[in-house]
Amino acid sequence: MKNVIVFVEHSGGQTRKVTFELATQARRLADALGGEARAVVLGAGAQALVEQLKAYPLDVIAYAEDPDVDTFLLDPAVDYLVAVAQSAGPSVVLLPNTMLGRDLAGRLTARLGAAMAGDVTGIEVDGGSVACVSPKLGGKVVTTCAFKNADYGVVTIRPNSFTATAGGTGARTAQIEKPAGKSYAMVVERNVEEASSELGLEEAPVVIAGGRGMGGPEPFTSLLKPLANAFGGAVGASRAAADAGWVPYGLQIGQTGKTVSPQLYIGVGISGAIQHKVGMQTAGTIVAVNKDGTVPMGDFADLLVVGDLFTIVPELTKLVERAKAQA
Amino acid sequence: MKIVVAVKLVPDANAEKRIDSETKRLVRTGVETVLNPFDEYAIEGALQLKERLAAAPGSAEPATVTVFSMAPESAREVLRKALAMGADDAVLLTDAGLQGSDVWATAYAVAAALKKVGFDLVVTGGLADDGNTGGVPGALAEYLGVPGLTNARAIEVADGKLKVQRETDTGYQVVTGPMPALVSVTMAIGEPRYASLKGIMGAKKKTITTISLAELGLDRAVGSDGAKTEVRELAAPPVRGKGRIVEASDGAQGAQVIFDYLKEKKLV
Ligand SMILES: Cc1cc2nc3c(=O)[nH]c(=O)nc-3n(C[C@H](O)[C@H](O)[C@H](O)COP(=O)(O)OP(=O)(O)OC[C@H]3O[C@@H](n4cnc5c(N)ncnc54)[C@H](O)[C@@H]3O)c2cc1C
Ligand SMILES: Nc1ncnc2c1ncn2[C@@H]1O[C@H](COP(=O)(O)O)[C@@H](O)[C@H]1O
Repeated sequence: MKNVIVFVEHSGGQTRKVTFELATQARRLADALGGEARAVVLGAGAQALVEQLKAYPLDVIAYAEDPDVDTFLLDPAVDYLVAVAQSAGPSVVLLPNTMLGRDLAGRLTARLGAAMAGDVTGIEVDGGSVACVSPKLGGKVVTTCAFKNADYGVVTIRPNSFTATAGGTGARTAQIEKPAGKSYAMVVERNVEEASSELGLEEAPVVIAGGRGMGGPEPFTSLLKPLANAFGGAVGASRAAADAGWVPYGLQIGQTGKTVSPQLYIGVGISGAIQHKVGMQTAGTIVAVNKDGTVPMGDFADLLVVGDLFTIVPELTKLVERAKAQA
Repeated sequence: MKIVVAVKLVPDANAEKRIDSETKRLVRTGVETVLNPFDEYAIEGALQLKERLAAAPGSAEPATVTVFSMAPESAREVLRKALAMGADDAVLLTDAGLQGSDVWATAYAVAAALKKVGFDLVVTGGLADDGNTGGVPGALAEYLGVPGLTNARAIEVADGKLKVQRETDTGYQVVTGPMPALVSVTMAIGEPRYASLKGIMGAKKKTITTISLAELGLDRAVGSDGAKTEVRELAAPPVRGKGRIVEASDGAQGAQVIFDYLKEKKLV
């Protein structure tokens, strides 16, 4: 494995911070392996993103503004990625550990006969061989997993695990040739937007999560959203809140939900059951608001404030907004 | 229509995990093996589909649900749980030679076994609780050579075509595809049912067929010989200690405590 390929996840040319985290890691790894760092951007808006990507230390930015990528599910993207990987030769492919990243990673693992590592938070090159660090078994064990017997390694990286460092190195751009004679069967009939698309929960630097203590759907909008906005973060939830139908399941954090690793997590009216904890325990700082001082959250939160969330949260929002206005 | 649900057996996430300081391996004794929580949703999704197809007017042959797992022989008991939920039968791919399989090797072996079992639709979970990779469903679709419709929160079959609502970060997509196919589900598919007493009794009489590695006639090595990854190290994660617990006298004071703390940490 010599070159490093970054899959750029985006929506109509809008990408997220994790892309730049991956690009920064790609540079470091490519230098250690003696190869190139290459990015792949596909679908509507790809071309517009190329310019933005040039601000990062990549050698090649390959793109295909092909409507098939958005019209058909996964297959065209897999074909393009395989084509880029095969022309690069033995390489490491980096994808974000998101729903789409995992979908593509599995497909590439088979197509390239690759070694795969998922939910990776550290990656090292040791004597030419690549090893990935990732929390397993609900974060109770941290494994270092080395690649062997394979020309390709496919890695999904947990967002917010690495810092993104800008610095263009004059990347070449290249249009990827459309694979010939392919027809695709999985058709995306339509897209339905339910949540506002400003920021993915997994990538948000600040997560404000609400639980059963919120008492209903309305306080998520009236209390948590403004606090999240004040921080430039996103709203998440416990399973109790998602099961009650107060928020979409997509916002659930934990064992059967999303894993988040923000700089700051604030849990509001959440008890901190083990199944919730496994989805947020790697947050930089954990703060909790709960009327009960004996909840499990108190065993691992950096700060637990015991009190009524309905009076504390609005005051906190005011303080954060004021600080922001003054900055 | 034959629906096959691929399930993984994982160590109970809620049990304490211990690493043997000598062997650097996970101590597995005393840790209960359970159905991967996501896969309970896969079973639920398959059973719902079977029931809807049976209720549909003019439905032809009844749908069946087979549960499949690649796991050690001891997995039988866990498969009974899936049968008790309502699956019709189960198949266990089990062989000492499969030990140490990674994502690639698992998908390669499971795909061969599923072809042998036969299916119109394969249903999987989205993510296994132990390894956290989520790579198997996509790799399976490739090796089975069928469409892989992922992250479904609703599955419909009409005129031999599949239609799913595929969850995205901001909502969902309606995606259609031909069958045979593979579908992975999210938990929005519906809360897994509990096994009824009748279900539990009935499960005892249902068959669990086993398949060995030799029967698959694979042309590539699987298990630890064929795996493309190897675990070099296992370590305990950094411990998160108990932090401060502060009683708030009122809302403003509670908010101030948080604000001051975040300021100290340079987070505001
Ligand atoms: C297989 C499995 C998988 C699971 N997966 C997940 C998962 O992915 N994510 C997840 O979160 N859970 C998951 N769970 C569920 C988990 O065990 C807990 O039941 C759940 O996390 C509890 O949610 P909660 O903390 O919001 O609710 P509760 O435990 O009911 O806590 C609500 C808290 O709100 C506080 N509160 C109430 N009113 C106020 C107020 N006015 N002001 C301040 N505080 C208040 C209460 O004191 C209480 O501590 C899973 C369970 C199982 C069995
Ligand atoms: N050994 C296995 N046997 C059957 N199905 C599996 C196995 N491993 C993984 N799967 C399926 O693949 C999904 C994702 O698992 P993973 O890719 O390991 O995270 C699971 O939810 C199962 O449906």
